[in-house]
Amino acid sequence: MSSKLSHIRNFSIIAHIDHGKSTLADRFIQVCGGLADREMAAQVLDSMDIERERGITIKAQSVTLNYLSLDGNTYQLNFIDTPGHVDFTYEVSRSLAACEGALLVVDAAQGVEAQSVANCYTAIEQGLEVVPVLNKMDLPQAEPERVANEIEEIIGIDATDAVQCSAKSGLNIIEVLEELVRRVPPPVGDPDNHLQCLIIDSWFDNYLGVVSLVRVKEGTIKKGDKIIIKSTGRAHVVDSLGTFTPKRNVTGILKAGEVGFICASIKDIHGAPVGDTITHQKTPEVAQLAGFQKIKPQVYAGLFPTSSDEYEDFRDALSKLSLNDASLFFEPESSDALGFGFRCGFLGMLHMEIIQERLEREYNLDLITTAPTVVYQVLRTDGKEVMVDNPSKLPPPQNIEEIREPIVKANILVPQAYLGNVITLCTERRGIQNDMQFLGGQVAVSYDIPMAEVVMDFFDRLKSVSKGFASLDFSFDRFEAADMTRLDILVNGESVDALAVIMHKEAIRGRGLALCQKMKELIPRQMYDVAIQAAVGNQVIARTNVKAMRKDVTAKCYGGDVSRKKKLLQKQKDGKKRMKQFGRVEIPQDAFLAILKVD
Amino acid sequence: MIPLSLYIHSPWCIRKCPYCDFNSHQAPDELPEQAYVDAVLRDFDADLPLVQATSIHSVFIGGGTPSLMSGGAVQSLLDGLRARLPWAAGAEVTLEANPGASEANRFKAYAAAGINRLSLGVQSFDDQHLQRLGRVHGRQDALAAFAMAREAGIQRINIDLMHGLSEQTIKGALADLQQAIDLGPEHISWYQLTIEQNTAFYSQPPVLPDETVLWDIQQQGQALLAAAGYQQYEVSAYAKVGEMSRHNLNYWQFGDYVGVGPGAHGKLTQPGGDIVRTRKHRMPDRYLAAIIHRVESTPVVASELVFEFMLNALRLRDGCDWTLFEVHTGMDRASIAPLWADLVKKEWVLPDRVATTPVGYQYLNRVVEAFL
Repeated sequence: MSSKLSHIRNFSIIAHIDHGKSTLADRFIQVCGGLADREMAAQVLDSMDIERERGITIKAQSVTLNYLSLDGNTYQLNFIDTPGHVDFTYEVSRSLAACEGALLVVDAAQGVEAQSVANCYTAIEQGLEVVPVLNKMDLPQAEPERVANEIEEIIGIDATDAVQCSAKSGLNIIEVLEELVRRVPPPVGDPDNHLQCLIIDSWFDNYLGVVSLVRVKEGTIKKGDKIIIKSTGRAHVVDSLGTFTPKRNVTGILKAGEVGFICASIKDIHGAPVGDTITHQKTPEVAQLAGFQKIKPQVYAGLFPTSSDEYEDFRDALSKLSLNDASLFFEPESSDALGFGFRCGFLGMLHMEIIQERLEREYNLDLITTAPTVVYQVLRTDGKEVMVDNPSKLPPPQNIEEIREPIVKANILVPQAYLGNVITLCTERRGIQNDMQFLGGQVAVSYDIPMAEVVMDFFDRLKSVSKGFASLDFSFDRFEAADMTRLDILVNGESVDALAVIMHKEAIRGRGLALCQKMKELIPRQMYDVAIQAAVGNQVIARTNVKAMRKDVTAKCYGGDVSRKKKLLQKQKDGKKRMKQFGRVEIPQDAFLAILKVD
Repeated sequence: MIPLSLYIHSPWCIRKCPYCDFNSHQAPDELPEQAYVDAVLRDFDADLPLVQATSIHSVFIGGGTPSLMSGGAVQSLLDGLRARLPWAAGAEVTLEANPGASEANRFKAYAAAGINRLSLGVQSFDDQHLQRLGRVHGRQDALAAFAMAREAGIQRINIDLMHGLSEQTIKGALADLQQAIDLGPEHISWYQLTIEQNTAFYSQPPVLPDETVLWDIQQQGQALLAAAGYQQYEVSAYAKVGEMSRHNLNYWQFGDYVGVGPGAHGKLTQPGGDIVRTRKHRMPDRYLAAIIHRVESTPVVASELVFEFMLNALRLRDGCDWTLFEVHTGMDRASIAPLWADLVKKEWVLPDRVATTPVGYQYLNRVVEAFL
């Protein structure tokens, strides 16, 4: 069903993780009858298993709802979901590009969090109307006045009349929708113009080929239309199109201002890139829309299949994942220790974990991941600058003039009680304070911190030193010269390229030793002694030894119940599945990530 | 024809030892001997249709503590079994006995019933260790029982002995072993104490000697045994020349066996080559009351056959030849040639025989794992 432009509202919800975005969205779907009650699996929008298990949203999703307003009109509400985790900030701006407004949902008990602040600014920059909503009013500790005040002080938008609701109890949901209809402007555009359509997201469906979520900016698109993708120039015929309710609802037409899906039998997964423009084949002169800023990965790691015959499957899987995930970068890498694999770039550690989990679960691969690293800028003695995203690719010391590490600007919001802990943490991580402001009950602190110190486990540590109250937003700022060097790990006297890490010289002795100790715990005892050494250049700075297991034999076995013996051996064997043979030594996955477990 | 052994499980003990994960249960005040003998014979009758062999190659009465049974009960049990399927001439007939005073008085009667080999569960000659192991006998009992077995005319005796006991020193372990050797049994089963699931030790583990001590005990103990003429032929089995346990050897060579009695397992090759595993009711009461004792008979699939064969055969110090593999599994050696070649390359197994190298023998679990 299509509506008049004036009766369309395209909106997103900006909310911190756990502030109730998904529950609120579910309420909207319920009020508007998008799904029968029995279909309402809790939080229907987080459709990936991993999303539901972790309670987070990773990918953009959309829902079209028909809402009968108190003013007697039926409005088409297109809700474009946004991810909430700090790793996925870039997805937010994509979703926002399809909207005219955004609901800023704030937990009335917890107050504003740094990430919502950042996303709110993005929305305001993109010209969206931001409508504040105070959620979780059912909680006894809700403090709407304080939080409304915080929204005004920290973000600078008027929250005096913010709707106070509870997605959980259902309180004032209608008021939220009414406010949305009243304040978010309708889209502009003309259904009679030449077609101009923005691809918000694309994913691969085994039956339909590539499915794209689009926002029609101008014109009208119908089933059977011949379209072209601007960047590739390739022509396709629209097989099917419509909206999500959130079920796929084929309407056969999408008009200017609307948001929906298009399938055009595109088989090549790179055939419909996110941020691209779609137009009709007969109007190839239509301008390309601004699209999205290509996001640069911040963390790089090597991913290697445990068995070399999985390499091709692995490449296919990465290609498929990269279609819906513009931020996933990969290129072939070969390691002496791990064989052929891919160097992959991620937005952060959570992103890396999720990709690895999806590869293993959805594509049934067994992978070894090497320690993640940020990108360093290296000035060589010959005057050339090179970017290094892999410790083993660091030029030899005599060829290095200077190593520059990436520095981020980190904005942290934290209740006053935990300020001391947060400052201590930032100082430990080589942070330099720029600014501190007391706003409402919270303190906004801003730091320059080396990215390497932030992307690994900083977020988790921040949460733990602030009992979960501190929030973080950060972005790359600059490269800065630092006293960095490579720490090599030698196993039985041979350097294992996949275990090398780049770190600050000040920390290297302590961390080298701690790393050796951790490796000793993680490498199981083998048939031979295993010597582990940490070295900088030719100088060994720490060493340890995994003593050989003298024997591995079952003492007793007389006919009888073989199934029990079999189970025991099977268990032992399964334990070794994610291990890589290096020379005579078997190194488990955990050991490659040992550096993350060292304080 | 694949040799056929007969295993009879006797499920009762005076009390359960904390290390034991076998199917054993506290004995009632009076053993239901007659009911037990009847049930075992019925159980055997029901298995006979699965049996191809025309005679029994060896018999083993294990437990539990079979020596809780009277001589008369053993007599009627063996008579009944013999009447149903004949035993080969000179068949080895072993009974597991606790080396306690009351049991030793029955040895003569056992010999008369046809038992020609005794396996004495000595475990240790050190009273303190015996107590910690929860044994009901002491050092003197064990020495006396051995003498009485000889007096009863039993010519083949095995002594079961453990090492690696809590707080055991190398010296202590070797002294224990020396004591066993001094008695001059034909066979010694000398095995390291391991903590198994579903035992008292598993929930309250004793502190065991560290690995270096265990290794030294094994090395020095093996030297001691070898010097005294006991040859190691299996991971934990040592025998004087010609005195290997034919019954256990048949397990390790992947021969067939009927298993009767509560919880007993059997393995029987069928005409056409399929191999069937049988299993019986585990709880004694249930078993005695049952009309059908067998709870399961499952065919072993080809992929498991190789693993099961290797799990057993590679325990033998000299392994076996490839013909035995082919006859007892019905498979072609070529079917596992690439896997075997891989293990040969690792120097874990020999190229031309189903046997491990010394290193492979030391890490046998890893070798066997390869066949999973």
